[in-house]
Amino acid sequence: MTQADVLTAIDDALDTGRAGEDDPLARELQELALTLRADSPEPAPAYSESLDRRVQQGFPRRSGSKPPWWRPLLQPAAAVLLIAVAVAAVGLLARGLSGSGDDAAGGSSGGVAVSGSGGAESGAQRGFAPGRSDRRIERSFALDLEAPVDRMQRIADQVAAVTNRHGGFVLSSSVSTGENSAGGDFDVRIPADEVRPALRDLAALADVRSQSQTGRDVTPEYVTARDRLRSARAERGSLLRRLEAAATDTEAEAIRRRLDVVAGEINGLRGRLHGLRLRTDYAVVTVSLLAKEGDQGGAGGGSFGDAMHDAGDILIGTAGIIVRVLAVVLPLGLIALLGWVVVRVLQRRRRESALV
Amino acid sequence: MNEAVVETVALPAAAPNEGFAELYERTFPRVYAYVASLLRDRSAAEDVTAQAFERAYRKRRSYRAARGSMDAWVFGIARNAALDELRKRKRRAKLEGDPEDVYAPAPEDQADQALRRETVRLALASLSGQERDLIALKFAGGLSNGEIARVLRMSESNVGTRLHRTITRLREACHDAG
Repeated sequence: MTQADVLTAIDDALDTGRAGEDDPLARELQELALTLRADSPEPAPAYSESLDRRVQQGFPRRSGSKPPWWRPLLQPAAAVLLIAVAVAAVGLLARGLSGSGDDAAGGSSGGVAVSGSGGAESGAQRGFAPGRSDRRIERSFALDLEAPVDRMQRIADQVAAVTNRHGGFVLSSSVSTGENSAGGDFDVRIPADEVRPALRDLAALADVRSQSQTGRDVTPEYVTARDRLRSARAERGSLLRRLEAAATDTEAEAIRRRLDVVAGEINGLRGRLHGLRLRTDYAVVTVSLLAKEGDQGGAGGGSFGDAMHDAGDILIGTAGIIVRVLAVVLPLGLIALLGWVVVRVLQRRRRESALV
Repeated sequence: MNEAVVETVALPAAAPNEGFAELYERTFPRVYAYVASLLRDRSAAEDVTAQAFERAYRKRRSYRAARGSMDAWVFGIARNAALDELRKRKRRAKLEGDPEDVYAPAPEDQADQALRRETVRLALASLSGQERDLIALKFAGGLSNGEIARVLRMSESNVGTRLHRTITRLREACHDAG
């Protein structure tokens, strides 16, 4: 007999209440099925009556029997928290491994989408282990901000304020607020470890029209200059000792001439190292303020085209906000969903374990 | 003896109280028989059955017909409650041990019937917990293979295969016990 035949024979027996198959095996299984059903436990009459009453009354709640509303949320919340912590830990670990955000190419991580200029940057990073603390990288950033003419001066002041707030300084600046030539340029230096938050703050001052960055690894130059400085200092020490021990004036004069040469070398190398330190400790940030296209400098100027343009800007701005919100909500939602699934699976497994 | 009623329930998703009463009347003896078969403890079975129906009553609006019959839904709730009870009270040893008074022989049992039942009970004890669960759903619960598939969250063909294997094993165990 096939499996289907056996199952059909059993179902027939259960439906008719008797074992009517001719096949001895099928008949035996039918009898077994009937015995199993006949042997099913039955509820006691008193218990049945009591439960009937409760059903008729709609299962009245006993006072204090209702669990607090937040109790069912405990397990999912714990799972979500656990997964969030794990994700954060993995993220931090990954960031640490990839150079703890020290590399210039990570410009977009701070909310400012600074795009790398490519060649120089990628070439500069080659040959150095990520995360090395002695890397010396020259960074320069260019940010074009677009603002209405009437806000130009205020934004120019804010550029200087942001620079100061992040420990930098303005090397040069020029601002023009005339209606036809409104604009401004800032050449600022910002400490390398503050450049990302500073860029984020600068980008928040107005609409970002474009941005770019370059990075150049000058570690080889720096290391070479440092080593040569050490050698020159060592040579100077040696020459001074030889000068003390010089037996003749001629010999002493020759040593003094060499000492002058070495001193010149030392000064030059010191200056070079100082310059390299300055260039790598501070990032060069060039901010250009541009008047918004079609902006007449006054409020309320209003052709239909202007209105459409403004509407487009608002739409783009709104879409940007929605995208940012989604960027936060979607991962959180996914984490929550994952947590819920994990809780359900664990709960099910735990339950099923009672049967194993 | 329990009636193996397996027709699809026509209750709406948000079943009114009367609808629930019908469901209760139709399924109560079978749910009790299933839970008692699983727990092998009359008192615990009464508590769990009541608890299952109360849960079903409170959650009756969350029932969706697309996910299976209402009978299967109630049995799913009862099974969860029974497994929680099993786990909570660490009744694994009980499951594997001798049956309790839930299977006490009726006084009118004939000697050969009593002997046969005793043989079947002994054979049942040799099955695994999952096999006994399947047997209880089928014969004490009176569920169709499709409904068992819904309760156990597996395919109907898988249920058929397992059922065939289990009933065959049970038959062999009966022979051994006899």
